[in-house]
Amino acid sequence: MNLYLGVDIGSVSSNFILLDQNGRLYRKLYLRTLGNPVKALKDGYASISDGLDKQHGKIRAVGSTGSGRHLAAVLLGADVVKNEITAHAVAASHLFPGAKTIIEIGGQDSKIIILRNNIVHDFAMNTVCAAGTGSFLDQQSARLNIPIQEFGDYAVKSGHPVRIAGRCGVFAESDMIHKQQMGFPVEDIIMGLCEALVRNYLNNVGKGKKIEEPVVFQGGVAANRGLAKAFEKILGLKINVPAHYEVMGAIGAAILAREQMELSHSPTRFRGDNFVLEGNFTSNSHECSGCPNLCEVVCIKRDNEVLAYWGDRCKKWESSIKQPRDRLKVV
Amino acid sequence: MSRVGIPRSLFYYYYYPLWKSFFADLGAEILTSAPSNRHTVERGIELAVDETCFPIKVYLGHVAELCREELDYIFVPRLVSVEARSYICPKFMGLPDMVRALIKETPPLIDITVDLSCDEKCFQKDIIRVGRLFTRQARKIQLAYQHGCEELRLCRSLASQGFTMEEAIKMWEGEPMEAESETDLNIGVLGHGYSLYDERISMNLVKRLRAMNCKVLLPEHLGSEVVEAEAATVPKRVFWTLGRKMLGSALHMSQREDVDGIIYLACFGCGPDSLIGEIIERKVRDNKPFILLTVDEHSGEAGIITRLEAFCDMLRRRRNYRSESKLSPYGASLHSFENTV
Repeated sequence: MNLYLGVDIGSVSSNFILLDQNGRLYRKLYLRTLGNPVKALKDGYASISDGLDKQHGKIRAVGSTGSGRHLAAVLLGADVVKNEITAHAVAASHLFPGAKTIIEIGGQDSKIIILRNNIVHDFAMNTVCAAGTGSFLDQQSARLNIPIQEFGDYAVKSGHPVRIAGRCGVFAESDMIHKQQMGFPVEDIIMGLCEALVRNYLNNVGKGKKIEEPVVFQGGVAANRGLAKAFEKILGLKINVPAHYEVMGAIGAAILAREQMELSHSPTRFRGDNFVLEGNFTSNSHECSGCPNLCEVVCIKRDNEVLAYWGDRCKKWESSIKQPRDRLKVV
Repeated sequence: MSRVGIPRSLFYYYYYPLWKSFFADLGAEILTSAPSNRHTVERGIELAVDETCFPIKVYLGHVAELCREELDYIFVPRLVSVEARSYICPKFMGLPDMVRALIKETPPLIDITVDLSCDEKCFQKDIIRVGRLFTRQARKIQLAYQHGCEELRLCRSLASQGFTMEEAIKMWEGEPMEAESETDLNIGVLGHGYSLYDERISMNLVKRLRAMNCKVLLPEHLGSEVVEAEAATVPKRVFWTLGRKMLGSALHMSQREDVDGIIYLACFGCGPDSLIGEIIERKVRDNKPFILLTVDEHSGEAGIITRLEAFCDMLRRRRNYRSESKLSPYGASLHSFENTV
């Protein structure tokens, strides 16, 4: 069986999926990056590829996305390296043909993607504010000592959500503490927070965008039923949360990898099990003193072999490694 | 011979050829600071008061760098207005005062006041006052200024051939530059020149776009008559020189068939940008794909790269759809894939 691996290395989670030839999801895996994307990649790859062999399935192509997409591309050998917006849009238009709006909230980014005729028509991302993204919710769940998985269940139990200021995460937190000291039930505070985050999202990210149905809500934060409910309440529209909402970026990357293989008819750049699992990957950085830019150059090594450099503006280091750049070209 | 330092920042990108040839004609030796780099940025942030915008912070870093050199003067003009009934951001008006307050022991500042909002009389007097630091002959000073204006026109005409002002200044100084090669996207890029052409502040926006196979159209590539005529179509005249130029350019670009999309680079904390960016977005959005990028002190480039890549993907995809080709810009057609995940 031919399988296509999609990898989405994000700030908070690292997601892996395998699609089969017909585009069916074969396996999926959602892992926390825990600040160590190299380890997340090795562990994630080890468990998603566990038990695969020639009879059961062979990885024919790899696509990577997320803020760690270049790292994933180097460690695994990716055929497609794509930005998150395109990857999410591809996955959503594949699963929900005719979707017009995608709300995607991840660990540190939130995005709105407007689709028309299944293509990206417009998009926006959060600018200087990460209030309302997964990492802020994580922080609040830790503070309230409620596991993040149960956060949404608490929220939907609320009868009278309290009003929480949502302009800024720091103010939202102090507002929550104030409400909690006044004795409001925790469900109402959590639902109030969800509504505040939705208002913040619509004012910052969704500003000026025409949100039309069907609306798809995806990304790790879509696990929070309270947020979906708050979106429905405030927008007055039905919110669809796909079954695999948390790995949509990875699904998009796998679809793109499959397309790339069909289009190019060239062999995959995937480096195989041994390369990923048996190598010892290290990274270090140094300040290049070649010019006053003083770029911080990162070097990724497998044992003693240098795989990639990046971070240099002039590309002196980056181009010192022989890479078939044409296929790795990011656009 | 007197040595004059010129910070390579802010209005350097608009007026350097004028300033350089003026001082050179008066017999001064010119020294510029290095292009913005990590040290400039770090030094500038240390020095500046928090409320200023990022480009002003970077400017202070440039001045601080020049202060380490053996210089007789540093040129820190007080820019109030460069044309009738129009103004530059008030932070430029206070620039010499800010430099004096924040940086101890600077060489004497040449803080000529440039205010052409009403007439040129005071400005001409100030040019003579500055020139007298180098020569007693008023005629020589006037000629140096005229010559400077000619050099500036020359440099601007170089820029209009498809280059950034930063590149045009290099060409004007004799460095060869290659024109852009064949590209498949044509993107209008707007923003204050001092952010856009400073590779550190803009995170190399123009070159990044070119590397993504885009041709970049800048306000300097458009005729000023066209820009002014477009800017005059809004109900209230924009009295910021640069803001009006951006608005007129955006309106013009939004009507051009050959422009695929428009990018506006704003600095977080820029007062005029918060208004002009918004006006432009509202006026342009219905005609052309538009994206507003906000930059500040952060050095993480991943965010800007993701947005640019997604923007280019979107433009190619939309164009392919318009031309009714069923080829996906992502690769093969999505429809060949069963909807069964």
